[in-house]
Amino acid sequence: MAHAISQGLVLQTKGLRKHFGGVQAVNGVDLAVPPGDLRAIIGPNGAGKTTLFNLISGDIAHDTGHIYFAGEEVSGVPPHRLYRRGMGRTFQITSIFKQLTALENVQTAFLSYHRRHFNLWTPGRRLYRDDALALLERVGLREQAAKPSTILAHGDKRRLELAIALASAPRLLLLDEPTAGMAPRERHEIMALVARIAGDTGLTVVFTEHDMDVVFAVARRITVLHQGAVLAEGAPAEVRANGDVQRVYLGSTH
Amino acid sequence: MRSAAWLVLVLVVLALAPLALPPFFLQLLTEIAIVGLFATAFNLLMGFGGMVSFGHAAYFALGAYTAALLVKRLGVPLLLALPAAPIVAAAGALLFGFFIVRLSHTYFAMLSLAFAQIVFTVIFKWKTLTGGDDGLLDVWPPTLLKSPAAYYYFTLAIVGVCIWALHAIVASPFGYALKAVRENPRRARYIGIDVRRHQLAAFVISGAFSGVAGGLFAFYNGSVFPDFAYFTKSFEPLVVALLGGVQSFFGPLAGAFGFKLLEWAISRQWPVYWPLFLGAVVVVVIVLLPSGFVGLVGGRLWRTRSAKA
Repeated sequence: MAHAISQGLVLQTKGLRKHFGGVQAVNGVDLAVPPGDLRAIIGPNGAGKTTLFNLISGDIAHDTGHIYFAGEEVSGVPPHRLYRRGMGRTFQITSIFKQLTALENVQTAFLSYHRRHFNLWTPGRRLYRDDALALLERVGLREQAAKPSTILAHGDKRRLELAIALASAPRLLLLDEPTAGMAPRERHEIMALVARIAGDTGLTVVFTEHDMDVVFAVARRITVLHQGAVLAEGAPAEVRANGDVQRVYLGSTH
Repeated sequence: MRSAAWLVLVLVVLALAPLALPPFFLQLLTEIAIVGLFATAFNLLMGFGGMVSFGHAAYFALGAYTAALLVKRLGVPLLLALPAAPIVAAAGALLFGFFIVRLSHTYFAMLSLAFAQIVFTVIFKWKTLTGGDDGLLDVWPPTLLKSPAAYYYFTLAIVGVCIWALHAIVASPFGYALKAVRENPRRARYIGIDVRRHQLAAFVISGAFSGVAGGLFAFYNGSVFPDFAYFTKSFEPLVVALLGGVQSFFGPLAGAFGFKLLEWAISRQWPVYWPLFLGAVVVVVIVLLPSGFVGLVGGRLWRTRSAKA
């Protein structure tokens, strides 16, 4: 193995690189996320946040470098296996099962997580119904359970996707702009919910976010990406005070 | 409640049909049941899995030829030959499906068509086994099942069990996951579903039930021919499912009923114009009735996409 792995980290990347044609989207990222962290990854558009997420979650293959999840190298492990090892994620563009009801969305996630998805006989509608309803309650969608998810309001769809990701009780949750397209108040609500769930369950969360108020309100640590590389990392106060960060990022929006 | 009442009504009417109908119409009903099963099996892929196969005749023909060859060449009784039909069809679906599910949309459809044409060519050319273009003749059921009424009941029982099984599969956790794959393959991966494996499993199940339909048709028809595997046969379940409504589990059954009745009504007057008429009907249904014949009946009874919670 080229690099020693640090024990005890939930997620670690070493020298992670990915290019698309001539664009070096992710250019040597080292990331170390300890258990229970609530880590924000910020940076201007095109900094490589979503690409980094897609590399970590096995959606696309990286060029060079290493990814360790819970102490094991996971390069080349397909998404459905990563999920079973305890990695959940949401997408920047809401990704749900549109023609299914909110309840069915979450039930399907439970069915799959409990490896019942090759069961051909038991009526699915009765399985994990209570678990799914409890999870919908948790994200504030209990009243919407019977509705086809396609007619839910935008913010409720984001909540539903969060519930789908939480059905597997993951160790690590990757949230790619969980508040995209939401009103400011709703953004704070949903991130407070994520922080509460993380606090209750010991879940580790890595998220990207454009709203700096939200980031500084909930993040425990912040990693700043710039042109595919880590520009700075630290507690919110340190990052806010960092001169480089102010110059390339915070300064331009505040 | 309402659906249970409907079911009982339909079963009673079907059970009493031989008392009222002449043999010709019993044969027509038998064929409708077989085509309905074929289209329902096809629609497990199209309606519930989001996969459009242009080559399902392959599995129909594998079932038909398996049953016919066992009876004709080896003298196996019908009750043993018929169960072999879905087994061979499923094996074919597993072999071809392994490659087909690696592709999506148009490429999925075209590769499924290509495999079906291979099946057709093998049947057509392998004269010593299959009889080639002449087919296999005198594939009749035993005396006990030979009368139209007897074979009608026999077909109805087997199709009924198959439809019930497919209905259970659609409502099962497997069916939930299949719909999830249809709706959003990427999301499905991130709830732990191996998308290709799930699609392949659905393909094999669909192929197996298509094989049952093929086996039943062999004895109904009394003979089998290479064009059972031809692409025109592959379009039959597609057209039937579209007419009936692909979004509903029972749509393809309704479609088979409408399709065969129309075919009979039109062909006996103007046989030459049946394809023209069918084309016109398909256009009208697709444009004006996207949810098919069952869309006319309406009601949530038929809906499958957003089930009750």
